[in-house]
Amino acid sequence: MTARDPDDLLRDGGGEIGDLYRRLPRYEPPRRLDRAVLNEAARAVHSGKPPRRQRWIVGVGSAAGLVLAAGLAWRIGHEPMTKNDAAMPTASPTVVPVQPIDQFSRGKHEAPAGTESQAPSLDAARAPAAEQRAAGAVGNRQDQPKPLRKQRAESKPASAAPMQAEAPPPPAAAPAPKAFPTDERDAEQAKDADKTQQGFSGGLTGQAPAAAAVEKRATTTNVRGRASPTLPSSSIELQRDMQLAPSDWLAHIRDLMQQGRRQQATESLRLFVRAHPERRVPEDLRELLD
Amino acid sequence: MGSEKTDEELMLAYAGGDLLAFEMLYRRHRGTLYRFLLRTLRHRADADELFQDTWSRLIAARERYRPEAKFTTFLLQIAHNLVVDRFRRLKPQASDEETEAVFRNLDAPESDEPERALTEFELRRRLQIALEELPEEQRVAFLLRIESGLGLEEIGEITGAGRETVKSRLRYALARIRARFAS
Repeated sequence: MTARDPDDLLRDGGGEIGDLYRRLPRYEPPRRLDRAVLNEAARAVHSGKPPRRQRWIVGVGSAAGLVLAAGLAWRIGHEPMTKNDAAMPTASPTVVPVQPIDQFSRGKHEAPAGTESQAPSLDAARAPAAEQRAAGAVGNRQDQPKPLRKQRAESKPASAAPMQAEAPPPPAAAPAPKAFPTDERDAEQAKDADKTQQGFSGGLTGQAPAAAAVEKRATTTNVRGRASPTLPSSSIELQRDMQLAPSDWLAHIRDLMQQGRRQQATESLRLFVRAHPERRVPEDLRELLD
Repeated sequence: MGSEKTDEELMLAYAGGDLLAFEMLYRRHRGTLYRFLLRTLRHRADADELFQDTWSRLIAARERYRPEAKFTTFLLQIAHNLVVDRFRRLKPQASDEETEAVFRNLDAPESDEPERALTEFELRRRLQIALEELPEEQRVAFLLRIESGLGLEEIGEITGAGRETVKSRLRYALARIRARFAS
């Protein structure tokens, strides 16, 4: 071993020491690690996009369900108004708004358990409607809520207008149950976005859309003019941070530190590490990761 | 084979959803990365953990990968960042002064050192021990050079050190290894 200069190491093969190094045992990763890594790579590829589609399907399914419920509620109020309507066969115009649900059903084979639960409820929702139509035909409920129905009948045009336009009075209660789960999901999404900083296998693929979804919902909420008390602003800010160039992002984290927003700086830095794993964290920011 | 895809092409293909591309990429680099981590960290459990973590982060960041960055450098940068974090949490690094003092002691003139005929087994054993005893920065530089075949600039890019600093670390590493063989 007479090598004294690093040039020896920089020669092809690393010179004398390089030769000796290559005679050391050639350790390989255990098979369980191979399996774990390859599985994770496969999961990332296979589960990267479908969940987004599934979330979309769930959204459409939920919206369709609400429209249907609103329509049915409204319809129940109007059903016995005219005997002609009441005696009509099941192929009534109310089927029209169900169209998105059929789309949803067609895509059901793609959707997992979460979306499947929608289908039975829709079927179940159809059944009472048919029953009530039949009941209306018999006429045993014809007289009960007459005054209310009469008022509505006066305001209602004879032709069958689209369900969304007809729906107002009874569905007024419908947005209320929707509002809570939406916020709950927002909070969940925000939690997910935070988790990705610490998480192992979640990855950015799932994270970016999640954060985007949060931001999109926030925008929608603002458009509606409704406050979003449960939407964590930090998630939106983190989403914005992700759009920054790495150097700008680090500068922004320093700014947060200077403003005394240490917690947010830490969250942002953790996200930075996940988003740019190849980048070194500057010394002055390292303490945030401890 | 001329038609064989480069690492960068494979990585882009994987980012586009081609799982086979990832498998090929993984097969190419699994051994080198594992040995780099194992010899740097010196503990199999740590190496296993960071090996998986490195790939995990690469997978997570696949959509951000740009072919301007050489894949090997990208992969080893991720691994190196994890290694640095691990070292930082485990124990304090030797200061520059300490490293310099050790180096001065070890860098004795060659004529003072007894030449010995060492068996192949003994040579390998001593190299292994010498590697384990190297300070982290020197060991990383040495392994990136010898195990991964990187040049000074690439090592500098990964470790965040200048070209001359990398060269200096390699020189220190060589001196220490030589001292181990001379003892």
